Amino acid sequence: MGASMGRQGPGRLLLTAAVVAICSHPGLAQVDIAGLWRPLPRNQDGSGMIGDAAGVPLSAEGRWRAQSWSPDDFDVAEWVCRPHAWDYSLEGPLSPVRFWPEIDQPTQKLVAYHGHINMMEQETSIWMDGRPHPPAHAPHTWSGFSTGAWEGNTLVVTTTHLKEAYIRRYGLMRSDQSVVHTRWRRVGNYLQATSILYDSVYLAEPYVRTTMMWVFDSAMVMAPYPCEEATETAVPRGTVPHFLPGQSPLPALNPKFADRFGTPYEARVGGPETMYPEFIAKMKTFAKPTVPAPEGAAER
Amino acid sequence: MPFVHSPARRVHRPASALAIAAAVCLALASLGQEVATQGTPAAGGPTVWPPRSSAPAPGEVQILPVQGKVHMIVGAGANITVQAGDDGVLLVDTGLASMSDKVLAAMKTISTRPLRYIVDTTEFEDHVGGNAAIADTGEIIPFREPNYSAGPQGALDTTKASVISYYTMFHRLAGPTGRTPKIPELGWPDNTYSIAQKRLYFNDEAVVIMHQPSNTDGNSIVFFRKSDVVSAGDLLDLTGYPVIDIEAGGSITAFVESLNRLIDVAIPAANAAGGTLIVPGHGRLADHAEVVYYRDMMTVIRDRVQDMVKKGMTLSQVKAARPTRDYDRRYGRATGPWTTETFVEAVYRSVGGSR
Repeated sequence: MGASMGRQGPGRLLLTAAVVAICSHPGLAQVDIAGLWRPLPRNQDGSGMIGDAAGVPLSAEGRWRAQSWSPDDFDVAEWVCRPHAWDYSLEGPLSPVRFWPEIDQPTQKLVAYHGHINMMEQETSIWMDGRPHPPAHAPHTWSGFSTGAWEGNTLVVTTTHLKEAYIRRYGLMRSDQSVVHTRWRRVGNYLQATSILYDSVYLAEPYVRTTMMWVFDSAMVMAPYPCEEATETAVPRGTVPHFLPGQSPLPALNPKFADRFGTPYEARVGGPETMYPEFIAKMKTFAKPTVPAPEGAAER
Repeated sequence: MPFVHSPARRVHRPASALAIAAAVCLALASLGQEVATQGTPAAGGPTVWPPRSSAPAPGEVQILPVQGKVHMIVGAGANITVQAGDDGVLLVDTGLASMSDKVLAAMKTISTRPLRYIVDTTEFEDHVGGNAAIADTGEIIPFREPNYSAGPQGALDTTKASVISYYTMFHRLAGPTGRTPKIPELGWPDNTYSIAQKRLYFNDEAVVIMHQPSNTDGNSIVFFRKSDVVSAGDLLDLTGYPVIDIEAGGSITAFVESLNRLIDVAIPAANAAGGTLIVPGHGRLADHAEVVYYRDMMTVIRDRVQDMVKKGMTLSQVKAARPTRDYDRRYGRATGPWTTETFVEAVYRSVGGSR
């Protein structure tokens, strides 16, 4: 054993010690999440093909809604300044985030964490003082109303009062009845979020996102992200672009088109089954599309 | 092999290894997290999950400050808008008759000044039921002295609030001679208008009452310009598909046009939200984005049904095709006086379907 340790060298010992320290983190409960956090590169969901819902537990209603969505939706004057909702922003692009605490000075108790995300300047408040969620007739916002509680060293945030928003930017929606559970964990200079989205309208099962991670960066700059309502756009005012049932030309909804992974059409329409590893075996039994998707069929 | 490499590797390797280690630990930790099914969310800490949003208990009302001089009373049937200031109180809608005492008590907690005006947005009982009892507690400031020598036309009842509505609504509330009116005469509109808008200046702000047909031909919406609040009545119903009374001149086309007008009036503060606030006929306090989503939904459903009518589909075929299917879980109802089916039928009729 001693020889073995000798072969590993002091570096590996240090690394082992670090892993042990990190993994025994519950001893350091209620870790402060305040600070400037720079997003780390992450895998994006799906193939990027427009209309792809693989891995999203859409309900039938969610699928129908997606199939009427038109890309011209982004050119509707009223929606030009629609932001990525807070929960989408966490995994979206340009998601540097800043958290700062609000402290009750006489008692030095934490009242709330306030958060600002770079993308479209979304803000949140995570109330830590045990206040109830607002009544049903209170307004809904893009960030919703959030309360937080510690579970060991994990900050568990519950968000209600959300406006309807997208899960992916091509018609996959969550409703204004959604509730989001976000679990924030700080490990040293890393911050990680797991979000669980519950929506009884457009999802058949909760949708879990685990890819979001940030690193502490005290020099990070948060640029402004203003938006002025558009007055003239390509879509005439009062028009609502959409496709009638069965007429969507979105490439992912065309069984013939192949994405970069050759994902079968049956997977691309989404649904709870497509979330689970068991589906991979089933997916192999479906025919692979062979027709290359046209130019511009992928979002990124 | 000794742990001696180039300086660069010595600096970087532990750091990247630590990151990997952190990721591994986080992944392991997240594996242990229990993810609940849709019906039974995981208990999250000491709080009840999902959090319950309180609503008024049956028979009770709640008051929500909106902004400026405007409040909203919830729980009396349709939402009631209260604008209060030195000049007195202006109500938009009065709720159900059975809730009048509660509404009056709530109103008194907002202002003890006299009730001067009631504006009716639509003629349905949950909007105008309280007209008689509530108007009777008010007191209008006469714009001229009563002239009793001129007979009944010269008499002004200043001991009640003035009730404003679009004129077609008055006709239907009062009903034809010999028929029982929908509400007692004391609650009938006594201050009607028949053009695009009626304007007041009350409590130091412009109040614009706009004729915006939707579920009938007589709907009004009320814009409080300084407070930056619109009371939209049933033009916006965030609890379900709106009632469309075809017999009373309502139509989905009128709805969509009036929703577009409401969108023009409501200016968001940022990111398509905030700014002008909207008190809907039913449901939560709203803003620009909520109206746009609602307009989108109504327009999509209109277009689908219109397309089906053009294809010659009968009403039963349209119902079977479920043109509202992606919105039904949010807005649809299977039971009660106004169901998804009755809504689809009204849309079908109002876009020219007749079979």
